[in-house]
Amino acid sequence: MRKYFDVAVIGAGHAGCEAANAVAKMGFKTLLLTLNYNNIAFMPCNPSIGGPGKSHLIREIDALGGIIGRNTDLAHIQMRALNTKKGPAVRALRAQTDKHLYQETMRKYLEKQPLIMMRQGEVTALQRTKDLWRLFLNTGVSYEAAAVIIATGTFLRGKVHIGSLSYTSGPQGQHPSLALAENLEAQGIKFKRFKTGSPARVRKRSIDFSKMIEQPGDRLAHGFSHWLPWQPRAPVSCWLTYTNERTHQIIRDNLHLAPLYSGAITGIGTRYCPSIEGKVADFPQRERHQVFIEPEGLNTDEMYVAGLSTSLPEAIQDEFMRTVPGLENVEIVRPGYAIEYDVVSPEQLLRSLQLRDCPGLFSAGQINGTSGYEEAAAQGLIAGINAGRYLSGEEAFVLGRNEAYIGVMIDDLITKENYEPYRIMTSRAEYRLSLRQENADLRLTDYGYKLKLITEQEYEAFLQKKARIQEKLAFLQENYLTPDSREAQLLQEETGVNLQQKTSLQQVLKMPEIKLPLLWRIFNKEASPGEEDEVVENMIKYQGYLEREEKMAQRLLKTEAKKIPATFDYTAVPNLSAEAREKLSKFRPETLGQAGRISGVSPADLTAILIWMTRNNQP
Amino acid sequence: MNELDTIAAISTPPGEGGIGIIRISGEDAAQIGALILRHPSGRKITSWPERQVRLGLVMSPEGKFIDEVLYFLFRKGRSYTGEELLEIQGHGGYQNLKKILNSAIKAGARLAEPGEFTKRAFLNGRLDLAQAEAVIDLIRAQTDLAHQVALTQLRGELSTVIQRLENSLFEILVPIEAALDYPEDEIPDLEREQVAQRITALCLQLEELLAQAAQGVILREAASVVLAGRPNVGKSSLLNSLLGEERVIVTPIPGTTRDFVAETIDLDGIPVRLIDTAGLRESEDLVEKAGVERTREIIKEAHLILVVLDAGEELTAAEEEMIANTKHKPLIILNKTDLPTVLSVKELKDKFPDYQVLSVSAKTGDGLAALKEAIREALIGRRDFEEHPVLVTRLRHKEALEEALANLQSVAKGLSQQQSEDLLAVDLRAALEALGRITGRSVSEEIIDRIFSQFCLGK
Ligand SMILES: Nc1nc2c(ncn2[C@@H]2O[C@H](COP(=O)(O)OP(=O)(O)O)[C@@H](O)[C@H]2O)c(=O)[nH]1
Ligand SMILES: [Mg+2]
Repeated sequence: MRKYFDVAVIGAGHAGCEAANAVAKMGFKTLLLTLNYNNIAFMPCNPSIGGPGKSHLIREIDALGGIIGRNTDLAHIQMRALNTKKGPAVRALRAQTDKHLYQETMRKYLEKQPLIMMRQGEVTALQRTKDLWRLFLNTGVSYEAAAVIIATGTFLRGKVHIGSLSYTSGPQGQHPSLALAENLEAQGIKFKRFKTGSPARVRKRSIDFSKMIEQPGDRLAHGFSHWLPWQPRAPVSCWLTYTNERTHQIIRDNLHLAPLYSGAITGIGTRYCPSIEGKVADFPQRERHQVFIEPEGLNTDEMYVAGLSTSLPEAIQDEFMRTVPGLENVEIVRPGYAIEYDVVSPEQLLRSLQLRDCPGLFSAGQINGTSGYEEAAAQGLIAGINAGRYLSGEEAFVLGRNEAYIGVMIDDLITKENYEPYRIMTSRAEYRLSLRQENADLRLTDYGYKLKLITEQEYEAFLQKKARIQEKLAFLQENYLTPDSREAQLLQEETGVNLQQKTSLQQVLKMPEIKLPLLWRIFNKEASPGEEDEVVENMIKYQGYLEREEKMAQRLLKTEAKKIPATFDYTAVPNLSAEAREKLSKFRPETLGQAGRISGVSPADLTAILIWMTRNNQP
Repeated sequence: MNELDTIAAISTPPGEGGIGIIRISGEDAAQIGALILRHPSGRKITSWPERQVRLGLVMSPEGKFIDEVLYFLFRKGRSYTGEELLEIQGHGGYQNLKKILNSAIKAGARLAEPGEFTKRAFLNGRLDLAQAEAVIDLIRAQTDLAHQVALTQLRGELSTVIQRLENSLFEILVPIEAALDYPEDEIPDLEREQVAQRITALCLQLEELLAQAAQGVILREAASVVLAGRPNVGKSSLLNSLLGEERVIVTPIPGTTRDFVAETIDLDGIPVRLIDTAGLRESEDLVEKAGVERTREIIKEAHLILVVLDAGEELTAAEEEMIANTKHKPLIILNKTDLPTVLSVKELKDKFPDYQVLSVSAKTGDGLAALKEAIREALIGRRDFEEHPVLVTRLRHKEALEEALANLQSVAKGLSQQQSEDLLAVDLRAALEALGRITGRSVSEEIIDRIFSQFCLGK
């Protein structure tokens, strides 16, 4: 039995599902392999999706035709709007999801895709034969595919630690993937070890919620997806409580039992998801740390204890949790743990997420050294798109740092030494004001449509929305307020703003105290559904800043347009500094812009490269 | 790698004298020209006939007259760099050229990096490879040198001051950034008033630094030493002897040195600009009169004056007055001591007990070594340099400080207008990036590092 697929995706986590969906939408026959058919789109960490930066990624994936946004909307049990008062650039959504519903929704969706064949099976080896890759399963079955996307998350040589206990395992007691890691390594792929962790899950009925602060959700007018009609659920609450000095004392007394401190763990952890023992050790002056109790779903008694990620022995976990108000009688359902796993050394990746020296072989998600469902999904989408473009012989699809958080993330991944699992943050984006979550579709949906990930119907709706926005912008540009008019009087009554001369509505809207809904009211115009008014208001209010970013972006584009040939030999360039030569030879950037972002590469080095390149192009 | 910027620089090496050239290259060259140039009548310039030399006036963006100049424009594809290029020829005084350059920068040009004109020329196919490679070596050397300078400065006063400014800014920015990325963690709210006060204080510091820069004391660029004295006492000859070559026209006819001429020499590591002036003599000759005017100005801005006297002639009242009335105590140089003398060192010392008097012969070279040593001492040992160290010595630094200041002023305004944190962060970051151009600090990496070392974040 040997079957051919255009693309095989190994792993059906957040990266794998997204990748398979993209490939299939582009019209390719797709094989999606999972170690366990029960665990498709499994959320091994907290039941929450979104937050600053991450929310932006989801909106971008959705604008391009990805699925994490719609799936989150369908599986949410609470939605919150974050940073509502801190400015448009950082506004974000965060959802609590029902983990089981999330998985089920994703599985059902993928099962319905005619071009996706999804099945359980462990890939133990990959082999390149001519233009095809052959995948061998442990059952002796094999498949052929023109392109392969590895999206194995934390499963490659996964090793779990709880106190002095350690064993090879995937997350949450799942089967690890050992043979595949050996096989890939034998083919010359270089790995490094990262570490991440998870807190205990506890039984709901053992918690005393009266000692905690309730965190209800917000009633919102929209969710993540641009395309799915928003159907808010009756929100389920989360609960906030705090650690205290007693908690910290127990942790300090037992620090030597934590594998991170005993030396049992060699993998590198991340500052972004610290364990409670790390927090206590690194911030001794802190008197308390936040603990959020989050439901794992509607139909389960399991609760997630966010903030208490730990790999201390279970008995100690039990002991310190009982010092936290509300958790005095807590019952552990599953203990917290740390997990070490293999990640692909980033210098092997191209911007397309293809492995540099392996045509048709891509990797996406946590295996590329990121943390988080959203980061994984975004890479899955890009790897999927580029596997498709590889098949049709087209140039890689690359998003710039000025176009999307997705672009920022992938560029960071391939130009920086990753010392820890990477998390997206809004402070990583130079063009933060331009990359807002409410304009993701305006930035990206044209691409999604051209890539065939956006349907005709969706695109039509998008074009109409765009037209409405244009119309509103034009109205604000062309209409004026004259000092003595009825409208100006209304404005003064409402805001105290006293106009001295005839002023365009656009100028009026630029005043800090004026909001768009007010102007619509004064002019008897209807406010728009969804986020359209937000887009209009931000485009006008922040015009100056946006223009500044646009100017910066123009410069960026120039350097990005200068491609460095894949075979470029840095040792031949006479005027490079030693450090630059070493770094450039390692990362082998694809453009001059990328080269410039590698630390240790100076403008003089870039000039040297440019001159050398021009020389070699000369006949 | 900012090839879209329009860049500007003084492109005559210091010490060329006579005229000096400012070049402005890039898409906006003419646009910038229109902002700083006027017709001699004062009208705005609207047409730019190509490659025609025109007479014009350079104004500061505030509309103050700076210099009468010649200018001409090369269209894109026709210039040395291959870009639109505006060349302005002004009077050669360094301070004067700097003022013109400053105007161009205020009007939107960016100060060119070392070798940047040549780099553009190469990239636009205007240079062949051999030329280009020579240039890249030069750039390498210059940036290495700049790097060395930066390293020295790291230990120096300027960078201590600027690093302190940077740290203060990071202290303000990091909690803002942390709160933007971690809205659900416990990070104290932004205290607008308190931050506004700190920003105002930082603005004041920047303004102070800039005020010093504006005084025009440009130690690093070279200390200026003026040779003053009656015509024919041997100023030009002395300058030539100090330089070791014949550069300045020496004639027995008084008043030959019509404008001033400057040459830079290296006095054991201190760059010194020697400026030869037209004699301070009332003259009917208009050109020379203008020279005399400018001489007065140069003397005002100089770090040190050498009053040159002719040992073969009696001291005149004008000379006495010049010695007594010069702001900084000048060195008295008794020249032509190879000839029979009527004026002696002793006589001068009696008359001016607090002054240093040196006897030299420009012709034979006698006393020149002692003169050089005296100049050096006078410059380095000067008390007011020690008490008021000149921090901002490079135009590049000044430009960076100005940009930082503008950004912080925008932060201050934003704070008072209840502007949202994401916008405040943009301006704070821009200010830090501007300062980072002086200290070489990479802002974005440091923000993230500081966020996580200062706050315990994440679940
Ligand atoms: N014998 C002798 N002649 C000198 C000396 N210095 C200058 N001269 C002569 O004095 C005349 C005027 O010199 P110049 O440098 O043009 O004077 P300036 O007008 O002060 O610049 C020239 O003929 C020089 O050759 C000197 O030290 N000894
Ligand atoms: Mg002379």
